[in-house]
Amino acid sequence: MELWYTHLMRESIDQDSLLVQGNRACALGALDAGVRFFAGYPITPSSEIMEVMARELPAVGGVFMQMEDEIASICACIGASLTGEVSMTATSGPGFSLMQEAIGYAIMAEAPSVIVNVMRQGPSTGRPTTPSQGDVMQARWGTHGDHPAIVLAASNVADMYRLTIAAVRFAQRFRMPVILLADEIVGHMRESFSPEIAGRYRLTSGDFDFTETYTHPEMVREVHAPHELGTLIHPHVTGLIHDETGFPTNDPKKSEQFLRELHDKVVHHRDELCLYDVKNVGKGRVAVVAYGSCARSARAALKLAEQEGIPVEVLHLYTLFPLPVEIIQELARRVEFILIPELNLGQYAREVRRLAENWTTVVSMGRVDGNLITPRDIVDRLAELVGKYESS
Amino acid sequence: MAEREPNVAEEESTVAEPRTIDHYLHTDRFPHIWCPGCGLGTVTAAFLRAALELGLEKERTVVVGGIGCSSRAVGYLDFGTVHSIHGRALAFATGIKMAHPEFTVIVLTGDGDGAAIGGNHLIHACRRNLDITTILFNNNVYGMTGGQASPQTGMGGIATTAPFGFDEPSFDLCRLAEAAGATYVARGTSYGVRQLQRLIRDGITHPGFSFIEAVTQCPTEYGKRNPPKGPVQMLENLKEKAIPRKKAEGMTPEELEGRIVTGLLHRDESVPELTASYARMLERVRGSADE
Ligand SMILES: Cc1ncc(C[n+]2csc(CCOP(=O)(O)OP(=O)(O)O)c2C)c(N)n1
Ligand code: SF4
Ligand SMILES: [Mg+2]
Repeated sequence: MELWYTHLMRESIDQDSLLVQGNRACALGALDAGVRFFAGYPITPSSEIMEVMARELPAVGGVFMQMEDEIASICACIGASLTGEVSMTATSGPGFSLMQEAIGYAIMAEAPSVIVNVMRQGPSTGRPTTPSQGDVMQARWGTHGDHPAIVLAASNVADMYRLTIAAVRFAQRFRMPVILLADEIVGHMRESFSPEIAGRYRLTSGDFDFTETYTHPEMVREVHAPHELGTLIHPHVTGLIHDETGFPTNDPKKSEQFLRELHDKVVHHRDELCLYDVKNVGKGRVAVVAYGSCARSARAALKLAEQEGIPVEVLHLYTLFPLPVEIIQELARRVEFILIPELNLGQYAREVRRLAENWTTVVSMGRVDGNLITPRDIVDRLAELVGKYESS
Repeated sequence: MAEREPNVAEEESTVAEPRTIDHYLHTDRFPHIWCPGCGLGTVTAAFLRAALELGLEKERTVVVGGIGCSSRAVGYLDFGTVHSIHGRALAFATGIKMAHPEFTVIVLTGDGDGAAIGGNHLIHACRRNLDITTILFNNNVYGMTGGQASPQTGMGGIATTAPFGFDEPSFDLCRLAEAAGATYVARGTSYGVRQLQRLIRDGITHPGFSFIEAVTQCPTEYGKRNPPKGPVQMLENLKEKAIPRKKAEGMTPEELEGRIVTGLLHRDESVPELTASYARMLERVRGSADE
């Protein structure tokens, strides 16, 4: 637990516990993860990320660019990435929409980059300072065409720090863009952040060690040759379907093989990519699956529900995509129903339902009035549902 | 960030045999996609001859294209090449150049790619004065998508999306670039290939943002609908319309109507180049951090 907060330590007064803003923690995580190129365009509620990067990157010799829009921002990040630089951008809904075409390019060209989307209420300008989780399916399917996606979701300030590191590492290892979702609550709140607090929010994953110094992670097997512009390889990079030489091909066999490989490199490494935490494993009659700020409420609801006689299991997902298929299906076999609180009209509930419906009932609990879902809200809904299923 | 060193060969005599532009071409990728009589290959060859003159190193040169017939040139070039997305070549190039100031970065773009969908990136790239050389292939049409109007089609021009004649005036792209802050601005044509080669060469060595408009012919999608028909006639038309800047200086706007003013149009060495100013800022910040 040393390195994984060198930057935070530097600014702490009381080194055991510091009060940090989520967006700031994200930027500091990026610096610790080795991000040395940041391009962005201001938008609430993500702007603090770029402001911290503007201040901190020069000190480590990095490049910060405020671009003319979000399209230029993500494109500059991809350009830098193609030269071997570790790049990142941060935005919110409207800017995230503008980035979609280029995200597809980065997937196609296997160019790593991290895109942080601090979600606000939409569609369109919506309510800019109001939290939301309305971009979950856009993060999965925003760009056109069949494509894989790696999408993480942060639930607190510690997550903003460590999931940014995870996002950078995944991007480099899988040679593709990784999307980190936060919401306005997580981005703007300040909370005390210490190793003990972070330790309580355990990340379960195959072999991911957040305490490691940043090193260029080994690339996964299916990945095509990395393109480092400015090297002896002088490669060709294109958004056209291409073969292992990097040049376009119209060969149907090669086209299919290429697209399948793009997917396989993610799906085959689901074990490694799916970060989660289960509370009360096997002890609940019912379950709550949650992510982002709603996961905080779900965790708090666990105790409250127990006091009221409802044994509940909580599955806190840090990785939304690739879908944690096995984890959700195992849970579905154990419980009478799954409740999914989220700040949208049931986007992730739909994903969970199609995985779990053979074994259990999945109930969506969506909220879009701009307010949080509180632990009380969750417990009340659980009580209602328990009553309903018992009487039926 | 790495040190800035000019990417040019030190002694031309070290080259044993005179190289041809094949040195910079993936000839194994031929035949190319361009139509017979198209001017894009001529402009690309002018660029490659300029590269030969300078002895550009493949390893330190990155060429970025957008999307369009013109941008497809990057697929045949043996440099580090990026075939990016429509309109955004300059944004990609900005990331590449800022991350690696020691690279020579060239952008190949079309009139639709660079002046329509990518217009905002173009003016901001000019303003930043980042050391990138942009060659805009202006064929007055969207060639790749089949002859739709571009901002450069011109009043009265016929296009598939302007069947009764286009009603909109064009940009003067060179004046646009100059006003936006480009520090090297030039125009050539696919008829005047020697001049074009020289303009591109000087643009590459200019330490700042260079914009070169290469006026060229698309016989298939523009020439088919607008006089004069046929590639030879279109080239002759370019020859007749082109007028060197010096000569144009003494002429009235009426006399210049419909003419293509060629040559070096603007050059300013007094504006700081961005990677150089950024490096100085880094030094300042890091120097004060050490104190
Ligand atoms: C976002 C997007 N919109 C539209 C297109 C379709 N498209 C491809 S090339 C092109 C026009 C190219 O025109 P220009 O830049 O003048 O190049 P030319 O083919 O004439 O050389 C268009 C509209 C695209 N590829 N991407
Ligand atoms: S359509 Fe026009 S610009 Fe495109 S290759 Fe053919 S002649 Fe050239
Ligand atoms: Mg064109």
